[in-house]
Amino acid sequence: MTAFYLRWGILVVGATILVVLTYRNYEENLATMTPEQVLANSPTEEIRVKGLVRGGTLRGELEEGRASFDLAGEKDTLPVQYEGPPPENLRELKTLILIGKWKTPTRTFQAREMALVTNYGFVMGAYIVGLIPLALFLFFMGRKVCLLYDEIKQSTLYQSESDTHVDSR
Amino acid sequence: MNKVIRRIQRYQGWFGAGAAGCLLVGLYLGLIASPPDYYQGEVVRIMYIHVPLAHTSLLAYTVLFGGSVWYLWKRDPLVDNMCHAAAGLSAVFTSLALFTGMIWGKPTWNTWWTWDARLTSFTVLLLILIGYLMLRTFIDDPEREARFAAVVAIIGFVDLPIVHFSVEWWRTLHQPQSFSLRGVSISSDLLFPLIMMSIGMSLLFTYMLLVRTQMLYLTNLLHAKKGRLLGQFHLSKADS
Repeated sequence: MTAFYLRWGILVVGATILVVLTYRNYEENLATMTPEQVLANSPTEEIRVKGLVRGGTLRGELEEGRASFDLAGEKDTLPVQYEGPPPENLRELKTLILIGKWKTPTRTFQAREMALVTNYGFVMGAYIVGLIPLALFLFFMGRKVCLLYDEIKQSTLYQSESDTHVDSR
Repeated sequence: MNKVIRRIQRYQGWFGAGAAGCLLVGLYLGLIASPPDYYQGEVVRIMYIHVPLAHTSLLAYTVLFGGSVWYLWKRDPLVDNMCHAAAGLSAVFTSLALFTGMIWGKPTWNTWWTWDARLTSFTVLLLILIGYLMLRTFIDDPEREARFAAVVAIIGFVDLPIVHFSVEWWRTLHQPQSFSLRGVSISSDLLFPLIMMSIGMSLLFTYMLLVRTQMLYLTNLLHAKKGRLLGQFHLSKADS
């Protein structure tokens, strides 16, 4: 049984490392800021901002990948200049994620890319629903096999068999 | 102890280690390294768990079908144990494929469930498996139980081509196959993690099949031995 628990321990450590790496990837590359946070902190590095395209503010040539609009948060709005691939999802009153840099001198957000808002709960939910039951099923099945081998080995039933070579690995 | 069981004991660890390795690498590629999809965004990552689960459930049923034909031909009880194990595992993989599909359906189709041909035929597959497993609990005679179950599994195999070709035979909400004889309709950035996860899931199924077959074999062996011992005990009491 010790070898069995050791194997599962190694697997749990591997899975934990993967969870930590995934979470760090999310925090570093996929987490978003609100327009209020951008205005308050004036970040210098490239960031992702999530907000709603305010009605009546969208201007520019969308087919050529140039647009300007206001991105609204809960309290404040952020003036945005977009230059990048022609956006397919850019519409007024749509919530979007913009990737770009905040320009403090002009107080505008220079966006170069757009992304759809993702509910990561669905992704996380699918992996939890898909993997946890399988892991538990396999764990209890493997444990039962070890216990059955031990039971056969320890009981007097085992003695009567001539060709028994039982290894409870 | 059966020779085959001894061989299973010796080699099953390789399948387990292979499955763990492929799945850990596949999960890393699927969750971290691969890019989001142009249309679906990050939600496409659900594909790396849903599609391998669905493939594996069909693989499990194919094993059940092959084993059932083999059992009816050779009448080997160990093959029957393998069929019983494959049916249980197929039911688990089919349920999980349906649940993960529902979770993927909500953000992409805006509904948890629809009576689409693929989803319906997959649900029918789950019902066939539930029926198979229920049948095995109703019959007392092990030989009859195994024979009837094998017949049910062979009849139920009719549903597999329907599941596979449903997206081509009918106009469905479910997307068509990403790789078929006509070619591959998925970007290589997304394909590699998917293949890795599919291989990992198939190895995991093989490993689980070996473990579960052993479990059923050992349970039957223990019951048989206990029964024999009890019989001997009663006989000796009667003699004395």
